[in-house]
Amino acid sequence: MSGLQVSDIQVFYGRTQRLFGASLPDLQPGDVLGLLGANAAGKSTLMRTLAGQQPYQGRIRFYGQDQRQRSQREWLALVGFMPQTPPQESALRPYELLWSAARALGMALSDSALTARIESLLQRLGLAEYALAPLYSLSGGKRQLVGLALALIREPQLLLLDEPTSALDLHWRMIVLDLVQEKVQAEGAIAVASIHDLDLAARYCNKLVMLEQGRVVAAGPVRDVLTPANIARVFKVEAQVVPGALGYPQVQVVRPIRHPV
Amino acid sequence: MEREFRQLALRRLLMMLALLLALVVSLLLDLQAGPANLSLLQIMQGLWEPQALELRHRIILLDVRLPDALIALAVGAALGLSGIETQTVLNNPLASPYTLGVSAFAGFGASIAIVLVPASLGWGHAVMLPLLALASALVCGALVLLFSQLTGGARESVILFGMALFFLGTALTSAMQYIATSEAVDQIVFWTIGDLTRAGWPEVIIVSLCFVLVLPFSLRHVWVLTLIRAGEEQARSLGLDMNRIRMWVLLRVSILCAFAVCFVGAIGFVGLIGPHIARILLGEDHRFLVPGAALCGALILSLASFLSKAILPGVIIPVGIITSLVGVPVFLALIIGQGRRI
Repeated sequence: MSGLQVSDIQVFYGRTQRLFGASLPDLQPGDVLGLLGANAAGKSTLMRTLAGQQPYQGRIRFYGQDQRQRSQREWLALVGFMPQTPPQESALRPYELLWSAARALGMALSDSALTARIESLLQRLGLAEYALAPLYSLSGGKRQLVGLALALIREPQLLLLDEPTSALDLHWRMIVLDLVQEKVQAEGAIAVASIHDLDLAARYCNKLVMLEQGRVVAAGPVRDVLTPANIARVFKVEAQVVPGALGYPQVQVVRPIRHPV
Repeated sequence: MEREFRQLALRRLLMMLALLLALVVSLLLDLQAGPANLSLLQIMQGLWEPQALELRHRIILLDVRLPDALIALAVGAALGLSGIETQTVLNNPLASPYTLGVSAFAGFGASIAIVLVPASLGWGHAVMLPLLALASALVCGALVLLFSQLTGGARESVILFGMALFFLGTALTSAMQYIATSEAVDQIVFWTIGDLTRAGWPEVIIVSLCFVLVLPFSLRHVWVLTLIRAGEEQARSLGLDMNRIRMWVLLRVSILCAFAVCFVGAIGFVGLIGPHIARILLGEDHRFLVPGAALCGALILSLASFLSKAILPGVIIPVGIITSLVGVPVFLALIIGQGRRI
């Protein structure tokens, strides 16, 4: 049985349609799906829809059960959603935030179990020395990492990451995606992440979906989706896809495709 | 990490104890200030064993000073609590019961009573004034809620609608002043400045009761309120229904604030400064911040009440003037010191 099945999703913002029958490849435990697309392609809309925060037409099934058959509360207990915006610059401290979140969400964990979970997350994300530093003193990247810790605090079965690495430098991008991959494989979870960096997507995702103006233009294994033709269509750049030395395909961008005058 | 977290909590708990101690000192100072030359020792004796005081002093302490001093605590605590919850759910450091228009509407209600209810009603007049102020403030709260409901409770629209109601309340009060006699205008102005000396024991009991009834609801929400400080987007992503939370908070805040201002007038800045000082002293963990903001509000108003009697011996300056005069520079300092922080 498939873990996550998403088919024919249509989303409207008022009268404007934002997703036009988007379907994803069936996802199994351990899968990391990368959502690729230019700005305003519908990645965030799809992400919010999967998170249960957006009314939609179509079908989302999780281990055979329709998403709509679960209450909002049940669904949210399965999902860890990391939005694009990192936690704001308040005087709140990461440790307080994680602790309060766990308690606000009514997680049934003893104080000592919660302590262990928070500390291992913070440690893993390199935030141990910032655990009790006010959020306003942290860089955008560090706050993004705090946001990831927040999404992971419930040990979700479905991890939704909207641009999880946008504010991070290369080192932390890899740390974050390593962690996501590890969590997903160790806990049998499924991750869906929208990623701008094509090379990182090729390296960390085992399936990809390319979106263009609310429509899926390519979906499937990395090699099938990451082709010069798809890249040209979606990103308007001429590119070559070459086999990388580490076994992942690499994208070499040649030039932007000029708009016809 | 865990040890530091617990140490932080302990430090904050100690800070709250210090605030409580300061509150007791301030209460005693407030009780002692005034023209009757009661010493601090006499005050403490009188509180412990009223019969020990001579009758004149007993009346001054128990029937005049104590209700005034206690209403300062109750109103201050109510405004501090309303302020912190409003700031958190609207994610706006400038939000306060004032910016929701509640105080302005209370002023309008009071001005109706002053202008239209004949003074010949005697004690009826004294009852009608707070009653109309309360009713008007509650109408404002209801309007904020109704509008939030209609617009889905989005943060920005609530703030802007509150500002619109604030201007409406002020304009309506001006309209009442326009048709009022000059004596009534004086009374309206005096009411809108805010003054603690109008309160007696019934008022103290009503405001305190309202605070005590609302506080448990706020305390039940402390985890959620802390989480909201990470930003609305984060709170939503974890499944919190922000609009619903905001409605609940606005409901209890408007009721509490309406009761707080209806007897003593629109006392400015306590609901704004109290939470900020609490935040500086206690951080963002609302387990400490919510009761801390109430403590700070009470402390500020109690100190202001003391100052209002101590600055000019024999004269009681309306306490609203003190809170505004002290409040504005503190407020500016907070804005400048805070920089980009939210």
